[in-house]
Amino acid sequence: MRVTRALLVYCSLIAGAATAADSDTLAAQSVSKLSPIVVRDLHYGDVLFHFYQGEDFDALTRLNAYRQWHLTPNHDAEGELLLGGLYLSLGMHNEAGERFERLLTRNLPEDVRNRAWFYLGKIWYARGYLERAERAIRSIDGVLTPELEAERLHLLANTLMRQERFDEAIALLNGWRARDGQQDWLAYAEFNLGVALIRKGLVSEADPILTRVGQLESGRRELRSLRDRANLALGYAYIQAEQAEKARLPLERVRLNGPYSTKALLGVGWADAAAGDFEGALTPWLELRDRNLLDAAVQESYLAIPYAFRKLDANAQAAESYELALRSFDEESARIDQSISTIKREQLLDQFVAKDDQQQYGWFWSLRQVPDAPESRYLYALLASHDFQEGLKNYRDLGFLSSTLSRWDDSIGAFDDMIDTRERAYAERLPRADALLASGAVESLRERRDRISNELTRIEQSKDVAALGTQEQRDQWQRIARVEAALATLPADEENDELREKARLVKGALYWQLDEAFKARAWNQRRTLRDLDQALREADNRWIRVEKARTSAPTNTGEFAARLQALKERLDGLTVRLVDMQAKQNDLLERLAIRQLEQQKARLAAYSVQARFELAAIYDGIASSAPAREPETEPQPAPEPGPVPESDDPVSRGEGPVQDAPAPPSDPGSRS
Amino acid sequence: MPAAAADATELPAEAAAETDTRGLDEEIQSLKKDVVDLNKDLFVLEEELLFPASTQVAVFISMDVGEFFALDSVQLKIDNREVSNYLYTAREAEALLKGGVHRIYVGNLKVGKHELVALFSGKGPNQRDYRRGANLRFEKSVGAKYLELKITDRQRRAQPEFAIKDWE
Repeated sequence: MRVTRALLVYCSLIAGAATAADSDTLAAQSVSKLSPIVVRDLHYGDVLFHFYQGEDFDALTRLNAYRQWHLTPNHDAEGELLLGGLYLSLGMHNEAGERFERLLTRNLPEDVRNRAWFYLGKIWYARGYLERAERAIRSIDGVLTPELEAERLHLLANTLMRQERFDEAIALLNGWRARDGQQDWLAYAEFNLGVALIRKGLVSEADPILTRVGQLESGRRELRSLRDRANLALGYAYIQAEQAEKARLPLERVRLNGPYSTKALLGVGWADAAAGDFEGALTPWLELRDRNLLDAAVQESYLAIPYAFRKLDANAQAAESYELALRSFDEESARIDQSISTIKREQLLDQFVAKDDQQQYGWFWSLRQVPDAPESRYLYALLASHDFQEGLKNYRDLGFLSSTLSRWDDSIGAFDDMIDTRERAYAERLPRADALLASGAVESLRERRDRISNELTRIEQSKDVAALGTQEQRDQWQRIARVEAALATLPADEENDELREKARLVKGALYWQLDEAFKARAWNQRRTLRDLDQALREADNRWIRVEKARTSAPTNTGEFAARLQALKERLDGLTVRLVDMQAKQNDLLERLAIRQLEQQKARLAAYSVQARFELAAIYDGIASSAPAREPETEPQPAPEPGPVPESDDPVSRGEGPVQDAPAPPSDPGSRS
Repeated sequence: MPAAAADATELPAEAAAETDTRGLDEEIQSLKKDVVDLNKDLFVLEEELLFPASTQVAVFISMDVGEFFALDSVQLKIDNREVSNYLYTAREAEALLKGGVHRIYVGNLKVGKHELVALFSGKGPNQRDYRRGANLRFEKSVGAKYLELKITDRQRRAQPEFAIKDWE
């Protein structure tokens, strides 16, 4: 029995499943505070040894095998929980979910039950089964550790917000009180509360909350990112609520070098434009135009700038800017075409997978280094998306599983040889074994032993002291007997009587010696007999084992050979399926990538149409020498995510700079 | 062209992509399950073939606390024959400290009396090189035999303690 200090890291493992980058760190921090448990089965400890080294696949294999051999009887429920977590780490949500659900039908201690509900909630949330997720989270009964409680709240709030049940999310988040040391959880909770209030149109109520998050001081990347998002959310909420004058302050708090800076610059421009300050609006927009054209906000700035110029009656600059926009959009569109054909020509995923450590697999893996290829520049948002990352993980996992099976394929040859060798050895030994078994050797030894035992009993009972004498003593005893016999035939006279007396004295002396040693000798004989019995029992056991082996060995090797053959067939079948599935996964993600690129092209085309239209209007105005008209239309925003900011939902939002940024106002015309 | 309208036009494509992704993911999960099961069956076969329960002997090593001893390596001898000389990586030593139990050796032994000798090397109190041994005479019967090398801290003497436990 041994006490371990930090078991149940599977919390962290499973925690990773549903909370992704931002809250992973928080979940991991909670691990070290979990209570110790006792390892009661050596083999369960062996599973943990691999698990703690991040060798989840090995841990899973061993745990399944040890459970099959009934080697972990004292860790049944925990083992089931760990199994669920390990399946999850390999992206097998269905299996994990079924295991947790099965676990919950049993009579379990409350803490195990609660953890199972908790992880189940995370699984369903990550898979988008929100109602199931909510039901699981609400099934948690009793007290969780403060860290888990914070995570539970975070999960439940996100579940409600993704179902657009903002009132309930607001009530939940308002009612939560952070403990000491939970500042990070508090920041996420406040961010979500602010977003939920905005979603309900309560911008002024959201303001102090998001401002608090937007002014957080932190050296951590995640929190700095959250701070930017809070400011962006508040700024755009004010623009949408037609209170553009209040939008500037939060938008200006967004870091200029952070991933949200382009959206912020665009928003600051719109805030100025809404106030009629088109000169002011040009400053951020011109700054934006110098940035990477891949960014949707940058693309929009190409149309926003000439729009502002026209508002300022600077038609020449406006026309020039529209022409620049058209050229840039065309060039960009051509580059996208090139990327699409590259993707169609090459195996997309191998580029990504080759960039990373081949040993890693499973849920925790994520693409850290994007390959330096032209197409990857267009795919940042896609690469950061949940579906793509999941697909890429699957692709890697399949590669890992293929290499595992390939190693087994090599071993199977060795197993085959081993079974052959055993069969040959068996055939060689069989005649000897049969001869031995036919000889009845042990039986004859036992008979001999019985004869010896009977003789010893006779000697003891008749007190035949001479029988246990040394060889010399026995010779002397026999000689005396012969002398006595000879003397008995002689006539009785003085000389013979003297000889008889001498013989009697010698015999008496010898008898005395023999008698004195008799007890010790008899005891020694008995002890030797007991040793013999022991040896005979061992011989019996060996005899039985040889007899058993004689009959079971052919069955045994035959059974192994049959099992091996069946496994080989399964292995061959699965190897083919793995290759096929990898190709399918690659095709699907390629299609997603191409679809993404085509959407980008469509957006550029829409912008181009708009720019051409405006350009024609300007030239038309110049040709007819009429005074410059107001722009026909304002720049149209790109097809973007929803008009209000998303909640902090790390699973579905990914980490891309574009995907989760709020869209620009949808109807700028109303502001002019 | 408000954003909402743009989103609406794209919904069918997005929905189709999601369906594709989910459908394939379900297939992949099922395939992974088959591979995991096969891997387990192969592991079971390998162990049963190489180390039948009737002759199997397995030696495990565990550490409790580890304040007075940092493990570097373990040498194992059975019946005076070296069967393992294991050098621990930092990650493995960490896994032991967290409560993992390492199956350092698995092999086969005949029924009867045997002797296990373990030599532990590492850093002892005050970061000094530290080598200690432990031995155990044990009886191998017909079933599998499991032995545990235990490294524990003896708080009162501020020294590590090494012992071998025979799991009946």
